[in-house]
Amino acid sequence: MGSRTIHETANSVWFEVAGMTLDAAVGFVFIALSVASLYLLVAIGLSIVFGSLKYVNMAHGVLYLGGAYIGLLIASSEEYGGLLSEYGAIGLDLGFVAALILTPIIIFVLGVAMERFLAKPFYDRDLLDQLLVTFGVLIAAQELFAIVFGRTGTIYPRPDWLSGAISLPVIGTPPGLSAASTIRVLVVTLTLLLIAVIFAFFKYTDYGLAVRAGTEDSEMAEMLGIRVGRPFLLIFAIGAAYAGVAGVLGGSLFNVTNSIGMEIIIPSLVIVIMGGVGSLRGTVVGSLLAGLVFAVATVVEPSMTNASIYLLAIVVLTIRPSGIYPSAKIGQ
Amino acid sequence: MSTDNVQPDVEDESSLLSLDTWDRIKHTERFIFLISVGFVLTFSYLFSRAPVVSDVTQGYHGLTITILIWSIFALGFNLLLGQTGLLSFGHAMFFGTASYATALFSIHVFNEPLTIVLVGVLSAIAIGAVAALILLRLHTVYFAIVALAIGQFLYFLASSPLEGITKGINGLTVSRTPLLGLIDLDHRYSGILGELFVNNSYLFVGAFFVAVVMFITRIRKSPYGLIFKAIRENETRASFVGLDVWRYKFVAFLLSGGIAGLAGSLLTLNKQLAIVDRLYWSISGDVVVMAVLGGLGTLAGPVIGAFVWFYFQGIVNGLPTLGDYWLLMLAVSFTAVVWAYPDGIWGMITSLTQELREPKTLAAKVKTRVAGGSSAEESDGGER
Repeated sequence: MGSRTIHETANSVWFEVAGMTLDAAVGFVFIALSVASLYLLVAIGLSIVFGSLKYVNMAHGVLYLGGAYIGLLIASSEEYGGLLSEYGAIGLDLGFVAALILTPIIIFVLGVAMERFLAKPFYDRDLLDQLLVTFGVLIAAQELFAIVFGRTGTIYPRPDWLSGAISLPVIGTPPGLSAASTIRVLVVTLTLLLIAVIFAFFKYTDYGLAVRAGTEDSEMAEMLGIRVGRPFLLIFAIGAAYAGVAGVLGGSLFNVTNSIGMEIIIPSLVIVIMGGVGSLRGTVVGSLLAGLVFAVATVVEPSMTNASIYLLAIVVLTIRPSGIYPSAKIGQ
Repeated sequence: MSTDNVQPDVEDESSLLSLDTWDRIKHTERFIFLISVGFVLTFSYLFSRAPVVSDVTQGYHGLTITILIWSIFALGFNLLLGQTGLLSFGHAMFFGTASYATALFSIHVFNEPLTIVLVGVLSAIAIGAVAALILLRLHTVYFAIVALAIGQFLYFLASSPLEGITKGINGLTVSRTPLLGLIDLDHRYSGILGELFVNNSYLFVGAFFVAVVMFITRIRKSPYGLIFKAIRENETRASFVGLDVWRYKFVAFLLSGGIAGLAGSLLTLNKQLAIVDRLYWSISGDVVVMAVLGGLGTLAGPVIGAFVWFYFQGIVNGLPTLGDYWLLMLAVSFTAVVWAYPDGIWGMITSLTQELREPKTLAAKVKTRVAGGSSAEESDGGER
């Protein structure tokens, strides 16, 4: 807890003291990129599902929320309020890395269940029904988490190696990166890796090809003997797992409360729409823009930080109502 | 409406003539006017003071005013979603903007209830006109999410950069002045009037409630309102017929926003407070839940929805053990309604009364009544 506050103040001190030195610039870039990364990890699943399955999933926020709490249960042992208050400290206490590895697997399974029981019955229904039903699920889930875990926030314990500036085994702190905190570097690196994986998935695997074919014309693809249901299920669950990773990372950057599901899903949905629905490239660019604007606002006009993303979306959608990449095909 | 449920029981003995007459009169504007006036006149008494079996709702007069205000909000929201088919997840923008306009006008310019409410409504319409320019180029989900984005933008704008004006979470206090300089809204009646209405504040809100119900009925029955429906059913076809779809959507959006703004102003006047939370997305979410739960596209639906919501929030919330689960129960039933029964509670009531009219299914009805009787009764109470 202490390290978190120190770390946050340290960041702002840099800006005040160092002005526009290299350190400040690097720190600034990593704040922008880490915020963008979190949004991107959540938005990418939304974007794929929206683009390929024509399913708008507000319940995606449940996966982020679930990821944050499951990760917390794995990483540490904490005392919670709510129904769990009687049981004292609960958790496996396996550490942050274990949480980062195990959570996506659990959320992947949850994603499979969600696709089968929540999304599938609604594929053929109106978009507004989908939006309303998943909104209801999200509110219900958040309320359930509040009842079980209590309404007060929890903070991820940050291990020593994650606090402060990054330091690698052999070379120590890489030149120029002394201002970038380890957790933010980790978030950005991991996101880059995961995004590369998803792009490669679409470009090089048969499943990716099947998803692309199914998006283009699912009836035709099925007539050619491709069972598009499986690839769609897989891509849904991968998107879910990404949201789970984002939950763990976001939980350690910010704090964990029962309302984070809705708090992350609103900007993510806005980013997906701003980028152009179905366009992965649009989602990436949208997230980067959002992160950039967020970081600029923290430096220039801190009171505008939270409003900045929405202002950006409003401006972008006023100029381009169909988003940045309006007619891109899935996988691009 | 409540007679709607009583009537079929009478019908068992009498001729079909009474039913036909009933069907004819129940959709007339005069009948709806009488029902809504009757509702306002008796609601507070029946809810919070009438000698009833359980006393959990005793003394909740304040809650009845809140329910009326939120009913107005839900009716306004329903005008957009139920009539025109546009789902806005950002109706808090009207509610909150009107709330602030009301408070700021009363503090800095002139403080008279009717004037500040009017200012609130006009401000909501103004913000709606700006938002419409961005929103009406978008469809379905895009419309909903961007409306949400605009609402959130206004929320964050009001909560920190404009904190000097809005006073953030502490809010602005509105002092209460006599209506038109003559009538004291806080005046408490004694005797029978006191039993029925308690104070002028209730009547003030009630009058607006009746006016909104009548206004919406007028729209629903007018050719103009039918065009809203046509757009909901098939926008492309409506434009092929030669209608300027954008213009009608624009008007529907402004009307809906204006009514939502009216609710925001009334709430500010009633609570004597305007706070930044009224712009938050959860306000928009609440009103979506209310309208859908009660029954979209109907008049009674949003009112029932608002009632059920506040019954849970105000009363079930206070119960031991069960109280913690009030929002969970509402969210689950909302999800269930969207999933399986899109007509909502009011739809359930009307289809139940339809079934009651069929003598052949009477036996089957008795069975279902045993299972579903309690919920039907509860909802009936909600409507009254």
